[in-house]
Amino acid sequence: MIYSLNGHEIAELFERIKKDFETYGTIDVQGDVIFSKIEKYHELKIARSDKPPKEFLIGRNENVLTLPEPSKKAVFGVMSCDLKGFYIMDRQIYGKDPFYTIKRENTIFVNYVCTEPCKTGFCSAFGGPLMDDYQIQVVNYEKDKYVVYVNDKYDSYFKGFKQASNDEISKVENLMKRFNEKQEKHNVEGIENRIKWNSKLWDKYAKICIQCGACNYSCPTCYCFDLNDVGDERIREWDSCILAGFTRTSAGNPRENLSSRLRQRFYHKFVYYKKSRGVYLCTGCNRCTDDCPVDIEIKEVIDHDYDSE
Amino acid sequence: MITITIANNFKPREENIIEKTRETNDVYTIELASDSNSLPGQFYELSVLGIGEAPISVASSSTERLKFTVRNIGHVTSKIFEQDRIGVRGPYGNHWPFEKYDRILAIAGGIGVPPIRSLIHELKGKKELWVIYGARTPSDLVYKYEFDQWKNLSNLILTVDRGDENWNGKVGLVTKFISEIPNLKNMAAFLIGPPIMMENSVKELLKYEVSPENIYLSLERRMECGFGVCGHCNVGHFYVCEDGPIFKYSEVRDLPEVFL
Ligand SMILES: Cc1cc2nc3c(=O)[nH]c(=O)nc-3n(C[C@H](O)[C@H](O)[C@H](O)COP(=O)(O)OP(=O)(O)OC[C@H]3O[C@@H](n4cnc5c(N)ncnc54)[C@H](O)[C@@H]3O)c2cc1C
Ligand code: SF4
Ligand code: FES
Repeated sequence: MIYSLNGHEIAELFERIKKDFETYGTIDVQGDVIFSKIEKYHELKIARSDKPPKEFLIGRNENVLTLPEPSKKAVFGVMSCDLKGFYIMDRQIYGKDPFYTIKRENTIFVNYVCTEPCKTGFCSAFGGPLMDDYQIQVVNYEKDKYVVYVNDKYDSYFKGFKQASNDEISKVENLMKRFNEKQEKHNVEGIENRIKWNSKLWDKYAKICIQCGACNYSCPTCYCFDLNDVGDERIREWDSCILAGFTRTSAGNPRENLSSRLRQRFYHKFVYYKKSRGVYLCTGCNRCTDDCPVDIEIKEVIDHDYDSE
Repeated sequence: MITITIANNFKPREENIIEKTRETNDVYTIELASDSNSLPGQFYELSVLGIGEAPISVASSSTERLKFTVRNIGHVTSKIFEQDRIGVRGPYGNHWPFEKYDRILAIAGGIGVPPIRSLIHELKGKKELWVIYGARTPSDLVYKYEFDQWKNLSNLILTVDRGDENWNGKVGLVTKFISEIPNLKNMAAFLIGPPIMMENSVKELLKYEVSPENIYLSLERRMECGFGVCGHCNVGHFYVCEDGPIFKYSEVRDLPEVFL
């Protein structure tokens, strides 16, 4: 269902959801936007969090030997490009990783749809910020006016709110059209056929990459992790395919060279995942580039003229 | 809200080790109390709590007790032999597609041999099975005490890279003996061992017109989870743990990282 709410009603929605869920949201702490527990809707700061919300579902420092009691969380203020990461990784890990699956089932993400392009994102290459998949999706399309897209599962929280009119919905759709026209264009379609195994890009990047792993950690779609025993616990920690240890075995390392690891990262995103799961492992958030200390640009990997090499 | 119940597939079960055998200097076999319940080519994650886990192939046939043959090479593999109980989870992955073929050539190099032992005991001589098993030196051969039995269940070719004063068997790489197998053309080939051994064996098999559809490789990669969620074990768009470890050569021959 699609509803039409005003600011007061959005706050009321928050209160209704709070009855069943622990409520989290993006808050501003001296200029840093972080996810935190919140008790009141007005604590929420609608801005993209500095880090993706990945940690709500993929634990860090988590003992995989004991499944915890699921806790119900509602997370407000997730941006669409971040939320999309979960729908993408669902295709590989949902139903298989019990921790992820249980948390996924017990968490509501309330995503906020950007109405103006941000500085560096290129989400329109992947369909733009209005998502086809969502739980509760909020578009603040005019001052104090919200169109809210609701998955049937959560319809009960909207009792008494009025449905959005066709006029309001088409306003949102036009807004999205303008958004996608306005944002700088990067044509990702077909990259799996253009990209080259022996491209000079990989060596170029290997010369400057400092192997910090920030690109993986900041990525809303990167799901890889490591297991390490600490005492009587087996600890999950996020891992990074840029690090040499990622594939090292007693028999050697199939990706000894940094250039082959950088290539792996982009091939996983633009070739392998597309082939195995039908979608690119990327949402256009540009977080990897924003966080890269040496400015390795994912957009260059997309835009590069491989044919001329 | 849906409440789903889902088993914790990261959590191993504890098993007693009921028998331990020293195979070579650095290789040992352990037998567990439970039934194998797995097919040749599949693997388990074995663990010692506080140390970690290691993916290890099933060495037993489906009707034996669960057995593993392990090379002592690092943190976990050096500790398993000392234990009375270990953690096991699995089986994971696919198995050699032996059901589909009447004539099979299995080629094993080095510590790749456990899944071929499993196959020999699974088939019990009911199919035409040729086995080429190569090791570096005679003292690196494992399962020596079973070789007489293997000769009854298969056509066995044992070879070593370097002989010693007591060795009067064959000397040379496994690839050297592929030409000795009669009527290769209509056979299936199951390969496991170091990448270079598999790569050269494939070349040789293709020379004798074995179909790329009938050549199978067991690949090895760094693994953490074993069931497709940790992302460590990819070869191209496949995860070795959930799509393999056994792959048809025709499906992987165009992937650049296969023989690494
Ligand atoms: C599907 C599969 C089946 C295998 N079957 C056997 C077998 O039957 N017998 C046998 O002796 N060995 C087998 N291996 C190799 C065995 O898993 C490694 O030797 C073992 O993991 C080494 O662990 P470690 O802690 O002792 O070594 P360390 O070097 O201390 O291990 C450090 C880390 O690297 C990982 N790792 C190291 N080497 C490998 C490797 N070769 N493959 C995957 N992960 C590795 C470990 O799991 C651990 O996380 C198999 C590997 C795979 C992928
Ligand atoms: S963020 Fe940049 S420097 Fe760091 S690992 Fe990724 S590509 Fe290399
Ligand atoms: S071992 Fe984790 S994905 Fe294959």
